[in-house]
Amino acid sequence: MNEAQIGGMRFALDLSQPLYEQVLEQVRSSIAKGEIALGERIPSVREMAQALKINPNTVMRAYQELERDQLTETRRGQGTFITTDAEKVSHIRHRLAEEAVDEFLGRMSSLGFTASDIASILRAKGGEVR
Amino acid sequence: MNAISGAGICKKYGKRRALDRFDIEVPENAITAILGPNGAGKSTFMRMLTGLVVPDEGTLTVLGRKPSWETNRLISYLPDRARWYQGHTVETAIEWGSRLLPSFRKDEAREIVGSLGLEADMETEGMSKGQEARLMLALCLARDVPLLVLDEPFSGIDLLSREKIVAALIDSFSVRRQTVLICTHEIAETESLFDHAVFVHEGRVALAGEVEELRSERGSMQDIYRRIYA
Repeated sequence: MNEAQIGGMRFALDLSQPLYEQVLEQVRSSIAKGEIALGERIPSVREMAQALKINPNTVMRAYQELERDQLTETRRGQGTFITTDAEKVSHIRHRLAEEAVDEFLGRMSSLGFTASDIASILRAKGGEVR
Repeated sequence: MNAISGAGICKKYGKRRALDRFDIEVPENAITAILGPNGAGKSTFMRMLTGLVVPDEGTLTVLGRKPSWETNRLISYLPDRARWYQGHTVETAIEWGSRLLPSFRKDEAREIVGSLGLEADMETEGMSKGQEARLMLALCLARDVPLLVLDEPFSGIDLLSREKIVAALIDSFSVRRQTVLICTHEIAETESLFDHAVFVHEGRVALAGEVEELRSERGSMQDIYRRIYA
């Protein structure tokens, strides 16, 4: 596992999984958590590749995907910036929440719990989240 | 487009088959690694790129042509052993490079040497193996040519030198996007740099592909390496 921090963003890369997807997911989640603010400049491809010690082509591929999702925009000669559109960020937050819930439900069902079991456990916990 | 393609390459030394129907494609503007233990046939293939070794059978093209002095001008080659004549300093090595190496950029060489932690007046005599390797690499990276070939750039070199070499490669590739071919048996710190990997086993290609795809199908290059050669 290669770990690195760039500005407010934290990365942990697992070399047994495609790196481009991990960079993409981790930038997305940094945006969702507010580790990087709306309108803030993100590191250049070279800076990011250097910090993560990975191939610049891998970073570029992740950045292109962020741009396609309109989470970032590139201003000529100035660099790449996080969107200023709060709606897009709340959209990713929602998507990440759904993914987290799916993962939780998947684990619970693999342990043999039904939907009503899960609901009652959540109720017993007071429905509270840390 | 491929910068290098080889098909059905055979090479025998006496009775020993160094390469046995070896097929390879090295795409342009990407970093390709040739991986495998010592004796797998990597070095024989690397020497063919500059025409130092000629295949007994099969075809090999480098930048669209048969290896020759014309293609050699377009290749920046880091040999697996760095050796310096006595009496050189870092600066005179750069002067030497600018007189002898085609497409050499002196200003860039000075910049790269600095980023690799070497000073202009350092003498090559008495350099550690890692320092020598860094100087050689700086001279290679200072050439504006389409193909960079690095033969075992990390072997027997201290950790900090290895890290500096990796950083210099990332910087250089960010700017130039040259085709890079690295031959190595040290994967741990370097596999995150590769776009493509070619695993060589007993003179043949055991497995080749895009590294990100290999990761999703089979895990890290280190895992694959263990499975092939264990």
